[in-house]
Amino acid sequence: MDQQMREDLLKLFQTKLNRAMVYYLETCTRCGVCTTACHVYQSMPQARYIAAYRAEIVRRIYKKHFKGQGKLWPSYGEAKELTEAALQELYDAAYSCTGCRRCMVYCPFGIDTQMLMSIAKLLLVGAHAEPEILTLLADTSIEKGRSLEFFKEGFLQGVKNLEQKVVEKWKLEAEGKTVIPVDVEGAELLYVALAGAHSIIPAAAVFNAAGENWTLSFFEAVNFGAFVGDPTRTKLILDRIVNEALRLKVKEVCICECGTAYRVMKQLSGTQPFKVSSVTEVHARYLREGRIRVSKKAFEGQVVTYHDPCQIARNGGVLEEPRFILQHLTDDFREMAPDPRYNYCCGGGGGLVALGEDTLDFRMKSAKVKAEQVQKTGATVLATACENCHTQLSDLNRHYGLGLNVQFLTSMVADALVVS
Amino acid sequence: MSEAIHADKVMDLKGLPCPMPVVKVSKGIKEVAVGQILEAQTTDPGSLTDFPAWARTSGNEIVETIQENGIIRIFIRRKV
Ligand code: SF4
Ligand code: SF4
Repeated sequence: MDQQMREDLLKLFQTKLNRAMVYYLETCTRCGVCTTACHVYQSMPQARYIAAYRAEIVRRIYKKHFKGQGKLWPSYGEAKELTEAALQELYDAAYSCTGCRRCMVYCPFGIDTQMLMSIAKLLLVGAHAEPEILTLLADTSIEKGRSLEFFKEGFLQGVKNLEQKVVEKWKLEAEGKTVIPVDVEGAELLYVALAGAHSIIPAAAVFNAAGENWTLSFFEAVNFGAFVGDPTRTKLILDRIVNEALRLKVKEVCICECGTAYRVMKQLSGTQPFKVSSVTEVHARYLREGRIRVSKKAFEGQVVTYHDPCQIARNGGVLEEPRFILQHLTDDFREMAPDPRYNYCCGGGGGLVALGEDTLDFRMKSAKVKAEQVQKTGATVLATACENCHTQLSDLNRHYGLGLNVQFLTSMVADALVVS
Repeated sequence: MSEAIHADKVMDLKGLPCPMPVVKVSKGIKEVAVGQILEAQTTDPGSLTDFPAWARTSGNEIVETIQENGIIRIFIRRKV
């Protein structure tokens, strides 16, 4: 690595050094409490998968370049020069961490390994050493925001073609109503889905059953800028949705079953004239207010458990709502142990699922503990509220032969709708 | 189905979770030669914005899009 590149990367490093980050970088006592907190280490007990070990890779570069340690005796103080080899170590640390923050709730100092890994990811982006596909996905989202006018008509036609399927689920006389409204100024709620029809049809059925004044976003909720750890791209992708919400003057932005999308929208969209909700929160509200009714018939005789997506539950605070919904769907709900705040990551976060087949072997091995946690409940139905988790849990289901029916919570609600 | 352009490779991307359609098409396009056509079949309306945006970003070209019987067929020419 030449000097110029190193200087550029260190400037990027510097941009991350806010008070919280400096605290995380300077506080670890190596007590080891986080060791078994990480699902990766629990499933594959190797030193490199210990949360504090990952953090140390970033910390050593910090010590060398920002604290001046190791200048006289480079081997002393565990300071480390930022080199090509160091970049490889950063890659291995960052892309074997799902950013679940389970280690953080165990650490007596609340050290946030995911935040430290965000430094690693940013340096990789700066060195063009990040997984290329994540940047391509992020740039695709940004391009969509720039050129929407070119794509609009095709999208509207595609959405129209889904309407019949919504009506089948909705089971109401839909005549005279727009089944999937798009681009409606003055709607109460903007629903931001994913590309897949499965992310639109059940949600639309529930909105319509609840009599919601809603409109579907042109954009997909997921933020690949956040997965790849690039704050500039993250903001550009987020701004598309914020601007759409402002233009349509909605009062609520409802994020589909996508954990990262929810966390980014909730925590990074700033003060806005609309509130941000997850679709799970909205469905719980409809049930509480009697705007929708569901029956337990659809899941009769089934044992149901729920996987808390880390970005929605531990990192987003949505813990009670999915359980409230499930009380209405089943008489046999079984909680996983340990409890939701300490729930294990599915093993697919941080961009790992988006890397597809390339990470499959690691994802399966590193989430063995998750498969065991699910199996211990004796459940036949595994519900979740995140696309990423759903993909990973389906892969685990196949890999470990769990014989589960992996379900989206939104689909379960839509399938159980009762029309009065 | 209406007569479409001849595709050198056809990918069935129906019902895949996010972001697999774009991930798979990014790999699939490298399996046809520059100038050849890849046909991506999907049922997801989001693909109608995702694929053109991906094509612009990756330097490829959407030559035709057909929507019929709930199936979306996107024909992409490899340019780079
Ligand atoms: S629990 Fe916290 S202080 Fe202890 S080793 Fe892990 S990160 Fe360091
Ligand atoms: S954030 Fe999750 S995956 Fe990353 S080190 Fe902590 S427990 Fe492990």
